[in-house]
Amino acid sequence: MHELSIASALMEQIISEAEKHELSHIDEVEIHAGILRQVIPEVMQEAFREVSVKTVAEGALLIIVEIEAQARCRKCQTVFEPTLDSFLCPHCQIADVDILKGDEIILAAIMSNSVNL
Amino acid sequence: MKINIVKNVLKANDLVAQANRKTFKEKGVLAANFISSPGSGKTTLLEKTLTALGEQQHKATVIVGDLQTTRDAQRLEPFAYQVVQINTGTSCHLYANQVAESLPKLDLEAVEYVFIENVGNMVCPGEFDLGENIKVILLSLPEGDDKVAKYPTIFRAADVVLLTKTDLEPVMSFDKKQVYDDISRLNANIEIIEVSAKTGEGLSCWVEWLKKRRKEGIGAQVKFITE
Repeated sequence: MHELSIASALMEQIISEAEKHELSHIDEVEIHAGILRQVIPEVMQEAFREVSVKTVAEGALLIIVEIEAQARCRKCQTVFEPTLDSFLCPHCQIADVDILKGDEIILAAIMSNSVNL
Repeated sequence: MKINIVKNVLKANDLVAQANRKTFKEKGVLAANFISSPGSGKTTLLEKTLTALGEQQHKATVIVGDLQTTRDAQRLEPFAYQVVQINTGTSCHLYANQVAESLPKLDLEAVEYVFIENVGNMVCPGEFDLGENIKVILLSLPEGDDKVAKYPTIFRAADVVLLTKTDLEPVMSFDKKQVYDDISRLNANIEIIEVSAKTGEGLSCWVEWLKKRRKEGIGAQVKFITE
Protein backbone atom coordinates (compact mmCIF):
# COMPACT_ATOMS: atom_id res chain seq x y z
CA MET A 1 0.00 0.00 0.00
CA HIS A 2 2.83 2.42 -0.79
CA GLU A 3 0.30 4.15 -3.06
CA LEU A 4 -1.17 5.92 -0.03
CA SER A 5 2.22 7.41 0.87
CA ILE A 6 2.72 8.49 -2.72
CA ALA A 7 -0.80 9.93 -2.91
CA SER A 8 -0.23 11.98 0.27
CA ALA A 9 2.99 13.45 -1.14
CA LEU A 10 1.21 14.10 -4.44
CA MET A 11 -1.64 15.88 -2.65
CA GLU A 12 0.79 18.25 -0.90
CA GLN A 13 2.25 19.22 -4.26
CA ILE A 14 -1.17 19.71 -5.83
CA ILE A 15 -2.25 22.00 -3.00
CA SER A 16 0.91 24.07 -3.31
CA GLU A 17 0.53 24.33 -7.10
CA ALA A 18 -3.12 25.34 -6.70
CA GLU A 19 -2.12 28.10 -4.30
CA LYS A 20 0.68 29.23 -6.59
CA HIS A 21 -1.62 29.50 -9.59
CA GLU A 22 -4.59 30.73 -7.52
CA LEU A 23 -6.88 27.89 -8.52
CA SER A 24 -9.99 27.27 -6.46
CA HIS A 25 -10.52 23.77 -7.81
CA ILE A 26 -8.48 21.17 -9.68
CA ASP A 27 -10.42 19.05 -12.15
CA GLU A 28 -7.72 16.81 -13.53
CA VAL A 29 -4.31 15.61 -12.36
CA GLU A 30 -1.82 13.80 -14.57
CA ILE A 31 1.01 11.77 -13.09
CA HIS A 32 3.74 9.75 -14.75
CA ALA A 33 4.58 6.54 -12.92
CA GLY A 34 7.61 4.50 -13.93
CA ILE A 35 6.86 0.80 -13.97
CA LEU A 36 9.79 0.12 -11.64
CA ARG A 37 7.86 1.91 -8.90
CA GLN A 38 5.15 -0.73 -9.09
CA VAL A 39 2.26 1.67 -8.65
CA ILE A 40 -0.98 -0.26 -9.09
CA PRO A 41 -3.39 2.10 -10.92
CA GLU A 42 -6.56 0.91 -9.14
CA VAL A 43 -4.94 1.22 -5.72
CA MET A 44 -3.48 4.61 -6.62
CA GLN A 45 -6.92 5.84 -7.74
CA GLU A 46 -8.44 4.74 -4.44
CA ALA A 47 -5.61 6.32 -2.42
CA PHE A 48 -5.94 9.57 -4.37
CA ARG A 49 -9.71 9.63 -3.77
CA GLU A 50 -9.03 9.12 -0.08
CA VAL A 51 -6.47 11.92 0.34
CA SER A 52 -8.29 14.43 -1.89
CA VAL A 53 -11.42 14.58 0.26
CA LYS A 54 -12.06 18.16 1.39
CA THR A 55 -9.19 19.55 -0.68
CA VAL A 56 -9.04 21.62 -3.88
CA ALA A 57 -8.72 18.37 -5.81
CA GLU A 58 -11.77 16.58 -4.38
CA GLY A 59 -13.44 14.65 -7.17
CA ALA A 60 -10.61 15.37 -9.64
CA LEU A 61 -9.87 12.87 -12.37
CA LEU A 62 -6.48 11.22 -11.88
CA ILE A 63 -4.72 10.22 -15.08
CA ILE A 64 -1.87 7.77 -14.57
CA VAL A 65 0.56 7.45 -17.47
CA GLU A 66 2.80 4.42 -17.10
CA ILE A 67 6.41 4.99 -18.14
CA GLU A 68 8.34 2.04 -19.50
CA ALA A 69 11.73 1.28 -18.00
CA GLN A 70 14.98 1.98 -19.79
CA ALA A 71 18.46 1.07 -18.57
CA ARG A 72 22.00 1.58 -19.84
CA CYS A 73 24.67 -1.04 -19.23
CA ARG A 74 27.64 0.51 -17.44
CA LYS A 75 30.03 -1.87 -19.19
CA CYS A 76 29.02 -1.76 -22.87
CA GLN A 77 26.61 1.23 -22.84
CA THR A 78 23.84 -0.82 -24.47
CA VAL A 79 20.45 0.77 -23.81
CA PHE A 80 17.71 -1.79 -23.19
CA GLU A 81 14.35 -2.32 -21.53
CA PRO A 82 14.74 -4.17 -18.25
CA THR A 83 11.93 -6.07 -16.56
CA LEU A 84 11.11 -5.87 -12.85
CA ASP A 85 13.00 -9.08 -12.14
CA SER A 86 15.87 -8.80 -14.62
CA PHE A 87 18.32 -6.00 -15.35
CA LEU A 88 20.69 -8.27 -17.26
CA CYS A 89 22.27 -6.52 -20.24
CA PRO A 90 21.26 -8.49 -23.35
CA HIS A 91 24.84 -8.10 -24.58
CA CYS A 92 27.02 -8.66 -21.46
CA GLN A 93 24.54 -10.78 -19.45
CA ILE A 94 25.51 -8.78 -16.35
CA ALA A 95 23.16 -6.55 -14.29
CA ASP A 96 25.14 -3.35 -13.78
CA VAL A 97 23.07 -0.48 -15.09
CA ASP A 98 22.07 3.14 -14.81
CA ILE A 99 18.32 3.58 -14.92
CA LEU A 100 17.38 6.14 -17.57
CA LYS A 101 13.61 5.88 -17.25
CA GLY A 102 10.97 3.99 -15.31
CA ASP A 103 12.02 4.90 -11.77
CA GLU A 104 10.11 8.15 -11.57
CA ILE A 105 6.86 9.35 -10.07
CA ILE A 106 6.13 12.75 -11.49
CA LEU A 107 3.32 15.23 -11.15
CA ALA A 108 3.13 16.13 -14.84
CA ALA A 109 0.17 18.49 -15.06
CA ILE A 110 -2.96 19.83 -13.42
CA MET A 111 -6.09 21.00 -15.15
CA SER A 112 -8.57 23.46 -13.80
CA ASN A 113 -11.78 24.92 -15.19
CA SER A 114 -11.95 27.55 -12.47
CA VAL A 115 -9.55 30.37 -11.71
CA ASN A 116 -9.61 32.60 -8.65
CA LEU A 117 -8.70 36.15 -9.44
CA MET B 1 -6.60 25.66 -18.16
CA LYS B 2 -3.87 23.03 -18.20
CA ILE B 3 -0.69 23.72 -16.24
CA ASN B 4 2.35 21.58 -16.97
CA ILE B 5 4.42 21.01 -13.87
CA VAL B 6 6.83 18.03 -14.09
CA LYS B 7 7.93 17.67 -10.49
CA ASN B 8 9.10 14.58 -8.66
CA VAL B 9 6.22 13.71 -6.33
CA LEU B 10 8.61 12.65 -3.57
CA LYS B 11 10.77 15.76 -3.95
CA ALA B 12 9.96 17.11 -0.50
CA ASN B 13 11.18 13.87 1.09
CA ASP B 14 14.20 13.64 -1.22
CA LEU B 15 15.36 17.17 -0.37
CA VAL B 16 15.32 16.40 3.35
CA ALA B 17 17.11 13.11 2.62
CA GLN B 18 19.83 14.99 0.74
CA ALA B 19 20.28 17.31 3.73
CA ASN B 20 20.53 14.29 6.05
CA ARG B 21 23.14 12.72 3.77
CA LYS B 22 25.15 15.95 3.83
CA THR B 23 25.03 15.97 7.64
CA PHE B 24 26.22 12.35 7.80
CA LYS B 25 29.07 13.18 5.44
CA GLU B 26 30.14 16.25 7.41
CA LYS B 27 30.17 14.24 10.62
CA GLY B 28 32.04 11.37 8.98
CA VAL B 29 29.46 8.74 9.87
CA LEU B 30 28.21 5.87 7.76
CA ALA B 31 24.41 5.77 7.85
CA ALA B 32 22.82 2.41 7.10
CA ASN B 33 19.11 1.86 6.50
CA PHE B 34 18.05 -1.63 7.62
CA ILE B 35 15.00 -2.91 5.73
CA SER B 36 13.22 -6.24 5.93
CA SER B 37 9.95 -7.99 6.71
CA PRO B 38 8.84 -8.00 10.35
CA GLY B 39 10.57 -10.81 12.19
CA SER B 40 13.57 -11.31 9.94
CA GLY B 41 15.92 -10.42 12.79
CA LYS B 42 16.83 -6.75 12.35
CA THR B 43 16.98 -5.93 16.06
CA THR B 44 18.86 -9.10 16.99
CA LEU B 45 21.31 -8.51 14.17
CA LEU B 46 21.85 -4.95 15.41
CA GLU B 47 22.49 -6.17 18.96
CA LYS B 48 25.14 -8.55 17.64
CA THR B 49 26.57 -6.03 15.19
CA LEU B 50 26.97 -3.40 17.90
CA THR B 51 28.67 -5.97 20.11
CA ALA B 52 30.89 -7.23 17.30
CA LEU B 53 32.08 -3.72 16.53
CA GLY B 54 34.02 -4.41 19.71
CA GLU B 55 35.90 -1.43 21.06
CA GLN B 56 33.83 0.73 18.81
CA GLN B 57 30.52 -0.46 20.21
CA HIS B 58 30.04 2.86 21.92
CA LYS B 59 30.50 4.55 18.59
CA ALA B 60 27.25 3.58 16.91
CA THR B 61 23.90 5.22 17.29
CA VAL B 62 20.58 3.65 16.40
CA ILE B 63 17.40 5.28 15.12
CA VAL B 64 14.61 2.74 15.31
CA GLY B 65 11.23 2.99 13.63
CA ASP B 66 8.16 1.03 14.67
CA LEU B 67 4.43 1.60 14.46
CA GLN B 68 4.14 1.25 18.23
CA THR B 69 6.15 0.46 21.38
CA THR B 70 9.67 1.32 22.52
CA ARG B 71 10.66 -2.33 22.87
CA ASP B 72 13.35 -2.28 20.20
CA ALA B 73 14.88 0.87 21.65
CA GLN B 74 14.95 -0.74 25.09
CA ARG B 75 16.63 -3.83 23.65
CA LEU B 76 19.28 -1.81 21.82
CA GLU B 77 20.02 0.71 24.55
CA PRO B 78 22.69 -1.40 26.32
CA PHE B 79 24.60 -1.88 23.07
CA ALA B 80 24.48 1.53 21.37
CA TYR B 81 25.95 4.95 22.14
CA GLN B 82 22.51 6.50 21.77
CA VAL B 83 19.09 5.20 20.72
CA VAL B 84 16.15 7.15 19.36
CA GLN B 85 12.78 5.46 18.94
CA ILE B 86 10.39 6.84 16.35
CA ASN B 87 6.79 5.67 16.54
CA THR B 88 5.26 6.02 13.11
CA GLY B 89 1.65 5.36 14.19
CA THR B 90 -0.03 4.05 11.08
CA SER B 91 2.80 4.78 8.65
CA CYS B 92 4.51 1.65 7.38
CA HIS B 93 7.89 3.32 6.80
CA LEU B 94 10.14 6.11 8.03
CA TYR B 95 10.23 9.50 6.31
CA ALA B 96 13.42 11.53 5.83
CA ASN B 97 12.04 14.31 8.04
CA GLN B 98 11.59 11.88 10.96
CA VAL B 99 15.29 11.09 10.71
CA ALA B 100 16.09 14.82 10.32
CA GLU B 101 14.13 15.60 13.50
CA SER B 102 16.13 12.94 15.37
CA LEU B 103 19.54 14.23 14.33
CA PRO B 104 19.74 17.26 16.68
CA LYS B 105 19.18 14.89 19.63
CA LEU B 106 22.22 12.84 18.62
CA ASP B 107 25.89 13.46 19.24
CA LEU B 108 27.09 12.54 15.77
CA GLU B 109 30.62 13.81 16.49
CA ALA B 110 31.05 10.90 18.88
CA VAL B 111 29.97 8.08 16.59
CA GLU B 112 31.13 6.39 13.43
CA TYR B 113 27.89 4.71 12.44
CA VAL B 114 24.20 5.55 12.44
CA PHE B 115 22.05 2.46 12.08
CA ILE B 116 18.47 3.19 11.06
CA GLU B 117 16.12 0.29 11.70
CA ASN B 118 13.17 0.92 9.41
CA VAL B 119 9.63 -0.31 10.02
CA GLY B 120 9.30 -3.99 9.07
CA ASN B 121 8.02 -3.83 5.49
CA MET B 122 9.44 -4.87 2.12
CA VAL B 123 7.64 -2.31 -0.06
CA CYS B 124 7.20 1.23 1.26
CA PRO B 125 10.64 1.81 2.86
CA GLY B 126 12.11 1.41 -0.62
CA GLU B 127 10.25 4.50 -1.82
CA PHE B 128 11.52 6.87 0.83
CA ASP B 129 15.16 7.89 0.82
CA LEU B 130 16.23 8.72 4.37
CA GLY B 131 19.62 10.10 3.40
CA GLU B 132 21.39 6.85 4.25
CA ASN B 133 24.67 5.87 2.62
CA ILE B 134 23.79 2.20 2.32
CA LYS B 135 20.69 0.05 2.26
CA VAL B 136 20.96 -3.23 4.13
CA ILE B 137 18.21 -5.70 3.25
CA LEU B 138 17.67 -8.72 5.48
CA LEU B 139 16.12 -11.95 4.24
CA SER B 140 15.70 -14.70 6.82
CA LEU B 141 15.59 -18.33 5.76
CA PRO B 142 12.10 -18.97 7.23
CA GLU B 143 10.65 -16.32 4.89
CA GLY B 144 11.35 -18.54 1.89
CA ASP B 145 13.62 -18.46 -1.15
CA ASP B 146 11.03 -16.76 -3.39
CA LYS B 147 11.18 -13.34 -1.72
CA VAL B 148 13.72 -11.74 -4.05
CA ALA B 149 11.51 -12.66 -6.99
CA LYS B 150 8.43 -11.33 -5.19
CA TYR B 151 9.97 -8.04 -3.99
CA PRO B 152 12.54 -7.24 -6.69
CA THR B 153 12.36 -3.46 -6.25
CA ILE B 154 13.61 -3.40 -2.69
CA PHE B 155 16.33 -5.98 -3.36
CA ARG B 156 17.59 -4.10 -6.42
CA ALA B 157 18.13 -1.06 -4.24
CA ALA B 158 20.29 -3.00 -1.76
CA ASP B 159 23.99 -2.45 -1.22
CA VAL B 160 24.16 -5.63 0.81
CA VAL B 161 21.71 -8.47 1.38
CA LEU B 162 22.08 -10.36 4.64
CA LEU B 163 20.72 -13.89 4.58
CA THR B 164 19.84 -14.28 8.24
CA LYS B 165 19.03 -17.21 10.57
CA THR B 166 21.34 -19.48 8.56
CA ASP B 167 21.53 -21.80 11.60
CA LEU B 168 18.07 -22.99 10.50
CA GLU B 169 19.37 -24.24 7.16
CA PRO B 170 19.38 -27.94 8.17
CA VAL B 171 15.65 -27.83 8.91
CA MET B 172 14.56 -25.55 6.07
CA SER B 173 14.14 -26.36 2.41
CA PHE B 174 15.61 -23.04 1.32
CA ASP B 175 17.27 -22.90 -2.09
CA LYS B 176 20.12 -20.43 -1.57
CA LYS B 177 21.19 -20.71 -5.21
CA GLN B 178 17.76 -19.39 -6.23
CA VAL B 179 18.30 -16.30 -4.08
CA TYR B 180 21.83 -15.70 -5.38
CA ASP B 181 20.62 -16.11 -8.99
CA ASP B 182 17.62 -13.81 -8.51
CA ILE B 183 19.80 -11.11 -6.94
CA SER B 184 22.46 -11.34 -9.64
CA ARG B 185 19.78 -10.65 -12.26
CA LEU B 186 18.82 -7.46 -10.43
CA ASN B 187 22.18 -5.91 -9.63
CA ALA B 188 25.58 -7.56 -9.93
CA ASN B 189 27.08 -5.16 -7.38
CA ILE B 190 25.03 -6.38 -4.43
CA GLU B 191 27.06 -8.13 -1.75
CA ILE B 192 25.39 -11.17 -0.17
CA ILE B 193 26.51 -12.21 3.31
CA GLU B 194 25.14 -15.22 5.19
CA VAL B 195 24.80 -14.66 8.92
CA SER B 196 23.42 -16.33 12.01
CA ALA B 197 22.99 -14.00 14.96
CA LYS B 198 22.45 -17.10 17.09
CA THR B 199 25.71 -18.96 16.32
CA GLY B 200 27.72 -15.91 15.26
CA GLU B 201 28.45 -17.45 11.86
CA GLY B 202 29.19 -14.78 9.24
CA LEU B 203 29.05 -11.89 11.71
CA SER B 204 32.73 -11.03 11.43
CA CYS B 205 32.45 -11.04 7.65
CA TRP B 206 29.49 -8.63 7.85
CA VAL B 207 31.19 -6.33 10.33
CA GLU B 208 34.39 -6.24 8.23
CA TRP B 209 32.29 -5.35 5.19
CA LEU B 210 30.65 -2.56 7.17
CA LYS B 211 34.01 -1.14 8.33
CA LYS B 212 35.40 -1.33 4.82
CA ARG B 213 32.35 0.43 3.46
CA ARG B 214 32.71 3.23 5.99
CA LYS B 215 36.34 3.72 5.00
CA GLU B 216 35.45 3.81 1.33
CA GLY B 217 32.58 6.20 2.00
CA ILE B 218 30.66 4.92 -0.97
CA GLY B 219 27.00 5.89 -1.24
CA ALA B 220 23.92 3.93 -2.25
CA GLN B 221 24.25 2.33 -5.67
CA VAL B 222 20.77 2.99 -6.93
CA LYS B 223 19.94 6.63 -7.39
CA PHE B 224 16.30 7.49 -7.90
CA ILE B 225 15.53 10.17 -10.45
CA THR B 226 14.84 13.37 -8.52
CA GLU B 227 13.56 15.66 -11.25
